[in-house]
Amino acid sequence: MKTNIIIPAAALAAFTLLLVCCGKTKEKDMTPPEIIAVGDYTSPLNCQEFHVGSVLPFAWAFSDNDELGSFNIEIHSNHDHHTHSTEAEECPEEDGHDHGEPVNPWVFNKDYAIPAGTAFYEADIKIPIPEDIDPGEYHFMIRVTDASGWQQLRSVAIHIQ
Amino acid sequence: MIATILAAFMLQVQDTTEVLGPATIYGESQRQELMHLTLGSVEVGRNYIENNFSGTLMQSLSAIPGVQARSIGSGQSKPAIRGLGFNRIAVAVDGIKHEGQQWGDDHGLEIDQFSVDRIEVVKGPGALMYGSDAIGGVLGIYTNYLPVEPFEGRVNLFGRSNNLSAGISTRLQGRKDHFYWRLHLTGTDYADYKVLTDEIEYYSYRIPLKNGTLRNTAGREADAALTLGYVGEHFRNDFKVSDTWAKSGFFANAHGLEVRLSDIDYDASRRDIDLPWQSVNHLTVHNHSHYHGTGYSLDGDLAWQWNHRQERSEPVSHGYMPIPPDDLERDFQKHTLTGKFGGKVDFSPRNQLQVGADAEFQHNRRDGWGFIIPDFETLSGGVFVIDRHTFSEDLNVNAGIRYDHVYTSIHSYTDWFTTPDESGTPVYKERSGDILRHFDSFTWSAGAAWSPGRWVLKANVGKSFRVPIPKELGADGVNYHIFRYEKGSPDLDPEQSYQLDVGINWIGERLTLRLDPYFNWFPNYIYLNPGSNYYEGLQMYTYTQAQVLRTGFEAQAVWTLTSHWELEAKGEYLYARQMSGAKKGYTLPFCPPWKADVSAKYSFLEDGFVKLDVRIAGAQNEIVPPEKPTDGWYTLNLSAGKNFRLGKTLVKTGLQVENLLNRRYYDHTNYYRLIGVPEPGINASLMLGLDF
Repeated sequence: MKTNIIIPAAALAAFTLLLVCCGKTKEKDMTPPEIIAVGDYTSPLNCQEFHVGSVLPFAWAFSDNDELGSFNIEIHSNHDHHTHSTEAEECPEEDGHDHGEPVNPWVFNKDYAIPAGTAFYEADIKIPIPEDIDPGEYHFMIRVTDASGWQQLRSVAIHIQ
Repeated sequence: MIATILAAFMLQVQDTTEVLGPATIYGESQRQELMHLTLGSVEVGRNYIENNFSGTLMQSLSAIPGVQARSIGSGQSKPAIRGLGFNRIAVAVDGIKHEGQQWGDDHGLEIDQFSVDRIEVVKGPGALMYGSDAIGGVLGIYTNYLPVEPFEGRVNLFGRSNNLSAGISTRLQGRKDHFYWRLHLTGTDYADYKVLTDEIEYYSYRIPLKNGTLRNTAGREADAALTLGYVGEHFRNDFKVSDTWAKSGFFANAHGLEVRLSDIDYDASRRDIDLPWQSVNHLTVHNHSHYHGTGYSLDGDLAWQWNHRQERSEPVSHGYMPIPPDDLERDFQKHTLTGKFGGKVDFSPRNQLQVGADAEFQHNRRDGWGFIIPDFETLSGGVFVIDRHTFSEDLNVNAGIRYDHVYTSIHSYTDWFTTPDESGTPVYKERSGDILRHFDSFTWSAGAAWSPGRWVLKANVGKSFRVPIPKELGADGVNYHIFRYEKGSPDLDPEQSYQLDVGINWIGERLTLRLDPYFNWFPNYIYLNPGSNYYEGLQMYTYTQAQVLRTGFEAQAVWTLTSHWELEAKGEYLYARQMSGAKKGYTLPFCPPWKADVSAKYSFLEDGFVKLDVRIAGAQNEIVPPEKPTDGWYTLNLSAGKNFRLGKTLVKTGLQVENLLNRRYYDHTNYYRLIGVPEPGINASLMLGLDF
């Protein structure tokens, strides 16, 4: 009598164990993409200065262990000096600079595609800086995804005069 | 149309007995209790909830293997059963499905935990009785204890150290001849809670925490309920009006995109609630009638629920959205009308047939400048038949079928501001179109329970379903809470699930063993897939469907050493895999790691106890974007309780100290885990009850 009960119970436990241990599928991507510098050309760099009306060159590279997705560039005002953590500490402030309420802060937000099947991509984009924006501290946010949906961020502090 | 709904019916088992058994979930009648349902289920009474008193009802219940609390802050948490939560489990209060904004991951249940008399957790598909949503299980909450004295009552006072919470709950009730009444009043106030860190990193922001306080997570809650009832020889009726209100702050630095521009001094007080905050009010009016004759019984329910939820935050511009005129970011008003009717017929002492029908109408309206779900109405109805045959005291079988039809009507939504189109012309963008969908579902379940000797063996196999919710069909907007863009898919099919549940129990004189393995297959699980595209800098997430396999078990052993000492070990394990689609090979979001709990309990005098337990969780490296792996952890916890008699008054005391060693750890299923917030350190709760 007793074995009659133990056998189905054991069979079920073994079945569960089998499913648990041996459901091996293809290697899944667990690595987020990377945002990497491109030597001397890298731009913008932390604490770099730019001028209103000029062109801000964007030159960074993206790499992934598998396949890149797309990237986004966002520029927003940092008049209140909030902190982002991916780059070095705050840049030295200039004397006599007014950190009052922004009047016409620059907002730039654009999504860019990366060709399918690419594991390494060097971006080269010229961003015109409008004439009429408030000069001051800005954050330059770089975001990139890979094909699996992992995301990487980098924040660079820039100064616009 | 409403008349049709009100005319609809269904049966349901309603219960007015109170479980006053010992704190352990195994009473004397455990064999009968196990034989009662062929699905895995656990029943706990009010004593259990009080002895395991934590910040929220779900945190109290998370000591049950297979039950998880998905917390947000210290005062709110959502239930999950075997890792499935939100709309994949049904929470029913006195048999009526609790309808709030279940889809939301940033708020809790709108239920007064002190009004609860008994909870039945069904760990498996409950579609047969509850229709859509009960895929992962059912949390059946009962508040319908029948008073016996002309006047009786209880006052509970409670407090917690970590979030400086204080509360009072009063229950007054009485019975005179055939009539009875019951009144519940509860109020709670809690401050910002503390975690064991001075700094957290959210997205790419670095946020210092003053004294480890998670700023603006304070909250308060007020609940009231009144029941009037009649008990006759054959007929019973109770009419209940209850209201639950809560207001709580969101962690100030993790809500909204531009919190950095805030001038609010969040650190001024731990008790104030600044923007951003949420409030919710849930009103329920419920009438239950029961009639029993010779060999049959009838039950009928009518209920109206009104759920009103608001999120307020500082108005800020984002992308092309200008600064909104006020702080009302989101407002949801949901009305739910439920009608149920059913009956049980005993064809013979061994065979019982149960039939039922139910209908539900939901009406949801949104407001505010943030769009996440569209306006909608849904009308659903279902009929079912269950037959239960008892061959002997040791063997019973049951089988049932159910048919459901659901109609969903979603209204279009257009932005209140303009966005330039491809040619640069400003247009009011349509975020959601008009969607009309009809869904049909046929579900079934069959099970058997067999008890040879000291064994209780159970098996149940069943199909359950879930109709896609309007958010999954029609969402199209920024989810500021998680920093992502969510896009619905209007063509989703009803989610289906097949599940095999097995229960292996051995009941000895001093030792009881329990193993509940399960195996679950979803041909089309609805999954919010993180994609690789951006929308104005926010990663795009889209609702898709994928095959999903889930399997796991809960295990429990209770060993009564002497009349004073009891040892208990329990644990849970879950394995989930997406078997198709964009995330083939990955697990599901918020997959709980394995957990184990080992405790020793010393009982003294009649009702005193001291219990020490070690809770261990494994590391969770099975993740999907954007989750992070979570390390394993352990905590040491203490609980103690004793009752005293003061004249006619019974004084109940209870103490619980969580995380005695003040260890810093992360809970993988906590909402704030995504933004790197650890769990609270040492935390003591004290409860004082006066029964008169």
